[in-house]
Amino acid sequence: MDWLTTVIMTLLRYSEPMLPAGKRAWARALRLEAAEVPAGWDRLAWLAGGARFTMREAALNRLGYPAAFAAAVTVTAWTAWSGPPGDSAVVINRVDVITISVILAGLPWIVRRARGPVAGSRQARMIRTAGYAAILILVLVKTAVERVADARPNNLAGSVLGWTGETTFLAVMVGYAAVVLACTANRSPAVPATVVIGTAAGAAAGLMIYLLGPFGCPVRFTGWWPAHLYDAAITLGALVAAGAPVAAGRAATRRAGGSMPAGSRARQGAMAGLCAGTAAALVVAALSTATIALLPYDAALRTWAAAHIGHWTPIVGQVTPVIGIRLGYVAGASAFAAGYLVVLLLSPLAGCGLGAWAGRAADRPDPVRPRRPGR
Amino acid sequence: MGHRSSFSVQTLAVLADLCATPSRWRHGYGLARATGLKSGTLYPILVRLADRGLVEARWEDEQPAGRPRRHLYRITPEGLAVATTALAQARLAGDQVQAGSSVRSGRRVTAKAAPWTG
Repeated sequence: MDWLTTVIMTLLRYSEPMLPAGKRAWARALRLEAAEVPAGWDRLAWLAGGARFTMREAALNRLGYPAAFAAAVTVTAWTAWSGPPGDSAVVINRVDVITISVILAGLPWIVRRARGPVAGSRQARMIRTAGYAAILILVLVKTAVERVADARPNNLAGSVLGWTGETTFLAVMVGYAAVVLACTANRSPAVPATVVIGTAAGAAAGLMIYLLGPFGCPVRFTGWWPAHLYDAAITLGALVAAGAPVAAGRAATRRAGGSMPAGSRARQGAMAGLCAGTAAALVVAALSTATIALLPYDAALRTWAAAHIGHWTPIVGQVTPVIGIRLGYVAGASAFAAGYLVVLLLSPLAGCGLGAWAGRAADRPDPVRPRRPGR
Repeated sequence: MGHRSSFSVQTLAVLADLCATPSRWRHGYGLARATGLKSGTLYPILVRLADRGLVEARWEDEQPAGRPRRHLYRITPEGLAVATTALAQARLAGDQVQAGSSVRSGRRVTAKAAPWTG
């Protein structure tokens, strides 16, 4: 039995590097603790439990996440690939999927060298997984819009503008993936609570902004109440967009310790604002582009909207040549969908700036007042 | 701001044992003997509790003679508050979870956790 114990101990020792960084100490502790367990069946059972723990964690780390990523990329590619050969929209979509897949697969290796592997906490893994999922969903819905918008005869912008936009989009997505990976890495520039607070605030704000302007593009109502309600909602959405990074920066700075130097406060605030701006832009862009892609095909939703909130039309659809109701809507709204590229570009930068300002201003320590003589 | 937590009977057994001597650092085998849990069950529970900040872990400071250094565990102040509430509610729910008792089934117990104090 001793030889079996030795074999399992050796296997456990050499399988520890396969575990996530945060779990290795636990596996090592379990293995070393075996020395305290009475020799024989008890020690063997203890080590068997260690093998179970190690295999489960290693399988999730080495096989689970890569398998899930491969499945998600396959589904995205399979959905985006369809279309007539030679169509410029299909070519752009295929380049989109291939490039994004390569970026998302390769970037972790580069970030790992600079910032280390993913942090051991469950929150870091959840944020990294959610960030990757959001990027893939955005690519998926974007290809759905472009399949109509960039196909003949709707591709009025021309291929040069189309490819310029595409290149910009891919560069922005590299930045988003890099932010997600760096913030959830072991040597993240932000403390873990800052990343969690910023991401949660941004995701909530993004969802709220989408719900306040639920059609994904500007619409025009004929009724007085629907029109004013819509304008009020859009104004509120703008306030939420500006307020989320400020609130996140302030909360993250307080959580990290309000008595830290102004420079550190500003840095934690900036990181929280960056996470908030990134998450909000991803949520808004993905949901709004999905709406633009799906809404004209959902007759029940259009009928419900017309019956309950008055007659409405997408503003951009009115100035775009209409070739059938559905194509006209998508072609017109896709011009606005392209506008989300500006949102994706500016939101993290604005969030970073607002968060830094909020972090610097939060909990500023009271200046030391000189005491008056005699008091 | 409160938050809801659900603990399995096994997790409650670990928390109960750690709460019995909150200031004392415990080691894995001692916890396993006290709770009757196998190592493959105990360590994932400790990892989850540590991830949530309810348990703190450290290695022994000095290398003892004749044996390797041990990984030690202790309940945090927040963990103590959460565990006290959860154990009280489990007892009220009639689950007969007692400190250091042996583990019976895998039924989960939902408890209202203490306010976040971090």
